[in-house]
Amino acid sequence: MKDILPTLERWTADGLRAATATVVAIERSAPRDPGAVLAVSEQGDVAGSVTGGCVEPAVYEEARDVLAGGSPRLKSYGIADEEAFEVGLSCGGTVHIFVSMLDPALVEPFAAALAEDRAVALTYDVSGPDAGAARVVLGDAEPEDDVERRAQELLALGETALVEVGGEDVFVSSFAPRPAMYVFGAVDHAAALAQVGRHLGYRVTVCDARARFATPERFPNVDELVVDWPDRFLAQAPIDERTAICVLTHDHKFDVPLLKVALRSPAGYIGAMGSRRTTEERAERLRAESVTDDELGRIRAPIGLRIGARAPEEVAVAIGAEIVQAARERAKAAVEPVAR
Amino acid sequence: MSSTDVLLRAGRLAAEGVPFALVTVVDVVRPASTRRGDRGLVTADGALVGWVGGACSEPIVVREALRALAEGEARLVRIGPPGRLTEGAAADAVVAESSCASEGVVDVLVEPQLPEPLLAVVGASPAAETLARIAPEVGWRVVREVSPKADAVVVATMGHGDEEALAAALEAGAGYVGLVASARRARAVLAALRESGLDEEELARVRSPAGLDLGPSTQPEIAVAVLAELVAWRHTRAPVPATPAVARDPVCGMEVAVAGAKETAEHEGQTYVFCGPGCRSRFEAEPARYLAVETP
Repeated sequence: MKDILPTLERWTADGLRAATATVVAIERSAPRDPGAVLAVSEQGDVAGSVTGGCVEPAVYEEARDVLAGGSPRLKSYGIADEEAFEVGLSCGGTVHIFVSMLDPALVEPFAAALAEDRAVALTYDVSGPDAGAARVVLGDAEPEDDVERRAQELLALGETALVEVGGEDVFVSSFAPRPAMYVFGAVDHAAALAQVGRHLGYRVTVCDARARFATPERFPNVDELVVDWPDRFLAQAPIDERTAICVLTHDHKFDVPLLKVALRSPAGYIGAMGSRRTTEERAERLRAESVTDDELGRIRAPIGLRIGARAPEEVAVAIGAEIVQAARERAKAAVEPVAR
Repeated sequence: MSSTDVLLRAGRLAAEGVPFALVTVVDVVRPASTRRGDRGLVTADGALVGWVGGACSEPIVVREALRALAEGEARLVRIGPPGRLTEGAAADAVVAESSCASEGVVDVLVEPQLPEPLLAVVGASPAAETLARIAPEVGWRVVREVSPKADAVVVATMGHGDEEALAAALEAGAGYVGLVASARRARAVLAALRESGLDEEELARVRSPAGLDLGPSTQPEIAVAVLAELVAWRHTRAPVPATPAVARDPVCGMEVAVAGAKETAEHEGQTYVFCGPGCRSRFEAEPARYLAVETP
């Protein structure tokens, strides 16, 4: 939606009506993720794509029909049978696409929220009496009903999904600012992890108390490089459920106070580096500072999935994979996928 | 060749993708002809350059370097005269008795430097693009089509030639063959391959879906899941079984690497290798004496 927003703003300014086709659900290998939008103006102009060319012609016709007064509709394109092959999804996967009229009144507030870097969601009623109705929901606004409440829950996780609210299908498209990844310890692993984090869409901060190690030369690819005591920095850093905190300092002097701060936060991922023995020692010290076993259970240590990683870059991949897994686990708990 | 020259040469070989083992003297008990920090370099043909000790240590260094290259693991080697060599040696060090009269003991670290594995990423999907961008950072060379030299092939074409790419990857004998596709799409692809005559054993080599199962994922997340599986695969696959050929010096009984052996002699149509010129000349003087002895 973001990619075609300038076009939608222009159409709206010109008073042109438009229909949008939005990917609301996919199977694993679909070319574009949920939230991808193709828009068609009443003059027949097209912006964006939903599958990168596979089903666009069919979707275009549906959009034209909606523009001509047809009802909003949910269409599925897949490889379930021979017929579907003929429709043209040789590209693989199955996509569910919702086609409805664009509400021109939503374009301006949506664009404004994005411009201000605020967390914002678009919701579409996919079924029910209000099918086709869309809303702009701000992450920090007071929710007016269950749909907005649900949208804000998903937005907090950065999830875009088709969910059920009050027995009807609602599609929530989240536009959250990039989630934060805080990496402590200006070691080689941190530079590699920053790189993987950015590929995964995180805004990466590397923090270390030692100015000599936390230098731009060693960390050219981070969003923010901070020289400060790790616990002091984290105590004032913005943290939400999508935040990943990676403790690579490997020194109880830094780790223990830092992890105490991390455990008081809502961060969705907290990982700490160290051998099994270091991990046990650290756990002992944290218990001595009255951290409970439940809280200790939130720390993933030794950090990273066990994939036999050796080089720092490999360890970074192991950590990246674990962060993805943790995010999926959280999302799974929050999103009940609508079976189709 | 100075220690620094050896490092420069090592850099050049690494850039060219040529495997070699770097050998560094890490400890010495005098009298010995080397000093801590002396370096040498052994290529797969058994050629040694640099200085890590004289004729007594060289054949041992070459043999251990070739073994380290075959195994892909660094090893610590202690070389010295027969006797209390194991005293104070690291538990996993290789202890080799030299046949020379020298009394010194030398510890060398042998580090195999193998070229980065080759990953073929086929397809233009976002997952494929991201994978091709990250993999080089993690120590893989990346090409964008199936190559007969590829160690691993990941196919993510979104239906634009999955079957052909997988067939080529299986044919080429890549150790890791992965398909990024939905379960349904994967079934269709495998069915097409089965129809084209591939047997179940070959089809079973296709990992589908490729990558660790981290839950339903976005395209960049799939790339990370695949890379994580590739890292695991790289470090768990069986070491290359090819052990370097060694032959026993018929005079002193030492095992000497055949590749690059400098001291050899022909006798009755048979080639013999020796640890050094001393053993060779003794053999040449009276071969029958050494061949009469049955070596175990």
